[in-house]
Formats: sequence, C-alpha cells, structure tokens
Amino acid sequence: MSRLNTNIIIAGVGGQGVVTAGTIISDAASNAGLKVVMSEIHGLAQRGGSVTVDVRIGNVESPMVPKGEADLILGFEEIETVRSLERGNRDTFVIMNLERLPPVSLGIRRREYPDEQEMERKTAGIANVHRIDANRIGREAGNSKASGTAIIGAALSLGRLPFALSDVETALRNQFSGKVLEVNLLALSKGFESIPGKEPTPANR
Amino acid sequence: MNRMDRILNGLPGDVMFLLGNEAIARGAIEAGVGFATTYPGTPSSEVGDTLSKVARKGGFYFEFSVNEKVATEMAYAAAISGVRSFVFMKHVGMNVAADAIMSMSYAGVRGGMVIMTADDPSMFSSQNEQDNRHYAELAHLPMLEPSNPQEAKDFVIRAFEISEKFRMPVILRTTTRVSHQRTQVKLGSRSVRVVDAKFDPAKGDFVTLPSSSMGFKSELIEKMELARQYCEKTDLNRTETHGSGKYGFITSGEAYNCLTDAIRKHSIDASVYKIGMTSPLPEEEIASFLSLHESVFVVEELDPYLESGVRRIAQMHSSTARIYGKIDGIFPASFEYSPEVVASSLSGIINIEVGNESPPVSVADLPKRPPVLCPGCPHRATYYAVRRAARMSGLSDVIYSSDIGCYSLGTYEPFEMADVLLEMGSSIGVGSGLSKVTGRHVIAFIGDSTFYHAGIPPLINAVRNGSRMTVVIMDNDITAMTGQQTNPGVPYDGMGQPVKPVSMEAIVRAVGIDNVVVADPYDLKSFLPTVMKALKSEGVSVVIARRECAILRDREMQRKGERVVYAVDSGKCGLCMNCVENFSCPAISIQEGKIAISPDLCDGCGVCAEPIVCPFRAIAAGE
Repeated sequence: MSRLNTNIIIAGVGGQGVVTAGTIISDAASNAGLKVVMSEIHGLAQRGGSVTVDVRIGNVESPMVPKGEADLILGFEEIETVRSLERGNRDTFVIMNLERLPPVSLGIRRREYPDEQEMERKTAGIANVHRIDANRIGREAGNSKASGTAIIGAALSLGRLPFALSDVETALRNQFSGKVLEVNLLALSKGFESIPGKEPTPANR
Repeated sequence: MNRMDRILNGLPGDVMFLLGNEAIARGAIEAGVGFATTYPGTPSSEVGDTLSKVARKGGFYFEFSVNEKVATEMAYAAAISGVRSFVFMKHVGMNVAADAIMSMSYAGVRGGMVIMTADDPSMFSSQNEQDNRHYAELAHLPMLEPSNPQEAKDFVIRAFEISEKFRMPVILRTTTRVSHQRTQVKLGSRSVRVVDAKFDPAKGDFVTLPSSSMGFKSELIEKMELARQYCEKTDLNRTETHGSGKYGFITSGEAYNCLTDAIRKHSIDASVYKIGMTSPLPEEEIASFLSLHESVFVVEELDPYLESGVRRIAQMHSSTARIYGKIDGIFPASFEYSPEVVASSLSGIINIEVGNESPPVSVADLPKRPPVLCPGCPHRATYYAVRRAARMSGLSDVIYSSDIGCYSLGTYEPFEMADVLLEMGSSIGVGSGLSKVTGRHVIAFIGDSTFYHAGIPPLINAVRNGSRMTVVIMDNDITAMTGQQTNPGVPYDGMGQPVKPVSMEAIVRAVGIDNVVVADPYDLKSFLPTVMKALKSEGVSVVIARRECAILRDREMQRKGERVVYAVDSGKCGLCMNCVENFSCPAISIQEGKIAISPDLCDGCGVCAEPIVCPFRAIAAGE
C-alpha cells in the first residue's frame, strides 16, 4: 500500500507554521490531481506545544499516518523531529530543521537542550536523515518564517513528494500574495537546492 | 476571491480543500440557513469562525451565544418561526444545551433545525470523551454521522431535509478526525430560500406542559417510527464489498475510515454496511445484513451504541450471526481508533498478519513538550502573583479550584494551581462547596467567557450561602482557547458589528459582592498586594485580572509596527534560576550555563523584568 500512497508527518512546535506547511503540501498534491487527506489537532494553548500534522496522499480514508508507515517526516524542530520518528521506519526519509526550541520542562529542572551528539545518536537508526538550516534559508530569502517552505523545497529535491515544483508554486500563489509570496517562492527554490549531492531530476523540475 | 468568499460564493462543482468544519459551514450555506448560533468549543469552533466571517455577506444571522443552552434556544426560536436554523457545539456543550433539547424534541419545529455535536474521542482538548450518540436515543431524534468533510457538507443539507420532513430537530454528530480533517470537497449549489420569519402557532403548539406533552410524546414515537422507515431506504446508508465479502462489518463515522484502510491493507474479504443515519437505526436492513453473514463485526469508536442496537435487532430477528464488538471485549472501549487498532483487534478472529515491529527510535527519554501558556500570556503573571500572595498571606492550606480555558494549563508545572477542575463554571460552584465543607480558603480561577457562560449562578449561590472564597476572573478580553471568538465582554458581536460590552464588575457588584477590584497582572508590584488584600476578605471577594490575550496584543503591536524584545544582562544575572523554574516563559531558557531570552519568541510583555521575578534586575528591554 505504501508503494502507491505517500504518508507524510510534519512535526514542530505550535507557532512554527506546521499547519500552513501541511495545507501547502496538500494543495500542491491537489494541483497534481491527487487525493489528499490531512489531519490536524487544534485547541488548548495556541503556541508552544508539540504539534503534528499528518498528510496522506493516495487511496486512503483515515487521515492519520499509521504507526511505522511514515514515508517522509518533515521536522521543524529537533526534539519534535525525533519524537515523530517513532511513527516512521528505518527507510523513512527525514528532513530535520536545525532549530532548537527548549521546552519549559527543561528549565524547570535546570536542564539544557540535549547536545548535538545526543540528537545524532537518537537518529542513528534511520538511514536518510537530512539536516538543513531552514531558518537561515528563509532569512536569506527574506524572512525566517519562510523556513517551512524551504523544508518543502528540500523534500521535493529528495524525490519523496509525488508532485512537481510547479504544483507547490501554484499552492504558494493560492496561499500568499505580494512580498510574502516572493519570499516564499525564493525560499522554495533555495530549499530545493539545499541538500548537497541531490541534483534536481528533470521530473521534479 | 479569497478563501472565505469562495466558501460563501464558490460555484457548484468547484473543488475546495476544506477542513471538515469549513465544509459543514458551506453545507449550512448551501442549505440556505437563516439563523446560526454557537458557543465555541474544540473541535467544533471553526464552523463558527467561518460563518461569523461570511454571515453578513451571506444574508443570514450568526451569533456567538453566551452558552450552548441559550444558543440552542435561539436557534429553536428561528426553527419554530419557519427559518432554517443551525446550532453547533462541542460534545460537552451539549450537556449544557440538553435541558432545552430534551423538550424541543417533544414540541418539534416548523423550519429545519440541525444541532451539531462535535465529539472528541481521545480527549485531545476536552475533559472527557462522552459519546453523544446517546443523546439521539435519549431525546428521540434522528441523527446523521458523516465520515469525511465531503459527507459532512452533504449531510448538513440532508439533515435539514429530514428535519423538515418529520418536523423535528436533527442531530449531526462529528468527531475530531472528521471536523479537523482536510480534504478535497466538491461544492454543491446554494438553495435560494427567501423565508420571512412567521411565528403563528395554534394554541399550545410550543408549550410543553403535562397537558400538551402527553400528546407530544405519542407523536414523537410515531415520528421516529416514520423516520425509521425513511432510514431503511435512505442512500445515507450503503454497503461496500471488498473481495468475496465473507466477513460482515457494520460501522459509522471515522471508524469507517480506519476500517476501510485496514481492509485494503490486509486484503480482507469484507462486506461493509456503512450507516450514515444512525438514529433511528435501520432495523430491517440490519436484520437482513445479519442474515447474509456468519460473522459480523461492529466497528465504532467510544461506546457500543451501534453494537447494542445490532445485538437487540439480532435477538428480535432470531439471527444466528456471530456478532463481535466491544461488549465482548474484541474492540477497545476507549479512545479513538486507527487502522492499526482495527487490524490488531480483528487479528484475534480473522487470520491477518499485523506487524509488530518496534519503532526505529526510542523517544521515551525526550523532554516532554505539553502545551504551555504563550509568551506574554497574562495568565502566567496572574498565577505567579496569586501563588506568592497566598504564601505571603500565610495561607498554607488554600484550595485552588480551576475552570475551562487556556488557564487550565495552570494545572501543570511550575504553577500546579488546580486542585479541582470539572466543567464550565465549576471553579466557583465546586470551590464554594469546598469552602463550606472544609472551612478552608478557596481561590477560584475562571476566564471572562467562562464567567459569562456558567460562572454567574454559582457566584450568586456562593454569596447567598456565605462561602469564603476569592474568585480571580482572568479577563483577557476574548474567548482565547478556541481561537479568539467574541464574548459578552467584547465590544463587537459575532458578525463583527460594534455592540456595548456587558460589564462583569457590574454583575459582580449586583450579586452583592462589595470586595471587587480590577487589576492588571502585568503590573506585578501593584497586582500582588491587591490579591493579598482580597485574600483577607471574610466572604466572597473578586479580583478581575484584566489584560488582553497576548495574541490580541501581538496583532495590535504588529499593526502599529511596534516591537519590544527583552534580554538578559549576564553580568547582572545571579543565576538564581527563578525565571526558568517558577515563571517558565517559553522564551526563557538556559543556554550554555546562562539564562537567555529568545528574541524570536519574546513577546515584550516585560513581566519577567519585574524584581518579583528577577531580583537581580538583570532583564531589560533590549535594542
């Protein structure tokens, strides 16, 4: 089943634009003529908690990615990326944004964010983890808030999304306008070129 | 056309990528709704967020009512005047509305009336996961259960038709995964209904006194029998066959999605009877389905609502089919389902391989990140100050009674200021009871919207019966948790029109409380002694902690182009850790042994710079 369908988990912290990224990916899949179901959780505090959005593309009904069946995990924050790996498998493709937002539970215990070695140890069981600095890419494109779009660009360059760059561009045009649109279009192409050794394939282009 | 305009004016055949709740709003618009009311509650809130934005352009009435009971009464008034009305709420909101619903089913309606309940299996944002399908049985009302946004939209329209056909309100029941699912939805045409409200009942038509209700009850039973006959034939119910169709399945709602994915993944030979109209049950159809299968699995989330009905029907029709469900322990009785849960439940009976691979990564020792009060949230300052005020007043055995809102998060560390929390308004009701029964000082926390919703009668009761308590009304000028909806204290209404706010301090004084004070929690050094003074009061005292929600404030600052960010001067910082341990703003953390404030997250409220939080005065507004 997972050959025909694409199961995507987007993980981050409330306020990072996780839901927006989910709607852009879903809209892009729609533009490519694919069936999409997306699931999100609302309510309680608006910012600061763990947030995941599941996007499923293909012949599926339930909006939640089954345990172990994530094909692609887009992590907006390091701890949250690792947390969602539990729902992936050894072959899951992971993009991990190098953003570290310390949960308040750490400070209450006078602790600091886990160091880089510890985070790398945690992801060691997964072959395809690509670390990118999407906030920097966003900033270079004009606004660090475009990091989500940069992550989508990176995922596209890995060939793990069943639609083309132009479908995402259309989705961005549906979502944004003016200066914000320009920034996001630029972030998309910079994200697309951000993973070393991943030359864009003609099909993706 | 922007998104909201498209939801209002999108043409038939247009495909939009819609949230379930947006699709429901569109369904109401297509049905020609004339009157829509709600009290916001997750997972129903986006229906109201959508309708509130399009009501004026769409030419219908919309309001955020003071609570679900009043919302339902308002909608009922429209329906008995011939106007199609729609009232929607979260599952526990229906408890508040139940008093009205139980009797309006007796008197019935003229125009269509749809009552939506959004249930929350797994309690993502609720105090329980009650299964509101029981309300349809309790009230003797028809009920529809969609599985996805397309059905959600279409079922709203069907619900109005059924309501008018049988002249009774119809319940539309969703769950979180239907209301908060996004997918492609094909729009239908908008019915143009020009209906002048006309209230001209014959004598007693809408009066539920014993004399008339006895007749209503007999009619209600007759109507439900007619509704059952309709349900036997409706295309809201359908059968789908996979493979040889050997195993029978009866299902509804989101459970249908999980079941279908499990059937496809494991290539199960299945015949699935998907029931879209789950009250009254299609008895004959179910009996005939049972007669076609040796084994029938009833797959549904939460309570065995369908299963109990199926077992009853099986008994009445002397069915020999073996029925599996949750009464016999095959399927879980709690929490939402997933395709894996359905498959693993089936694997005990049907020969399928369910993977038992352990996850590739262990996440048990990762730092937890539960939802927290936002940076700049005034509730953080209030909790911080009240806790200190109680300690400085020598109140060692104070009881904290909390309520439903963002401030419920005060339950968690570092504040841990909720000893009891039940439902809307319970902070005052249970709190005053605890003060009576234990003689201890009670501090109750309640938000502005919750106060208007259900806080006033218990406040009257507390004063009237001599409780000793301090009520802290956390007035952030909005219904924040559900997404910034207006409430009676806000100077604009549900359609964005200016309106005079209701004064909560006037209400508090009117019930006989003299000891009421309004204070700004951002101003800790005057807020703290204000709370201490209130704690000295003998009877009921009220502190109105008034400061707008940080999200509202951010929007206002952004509009003005203002931005202030605080920073720590490490030279002055004494590393006492009070800010991270006891104030715990998400913007403040320990980085390489020093306290740091993230400029991206800092909201500029400046509360952490107050000496009561930072005794070393190391925090100040940066450049």
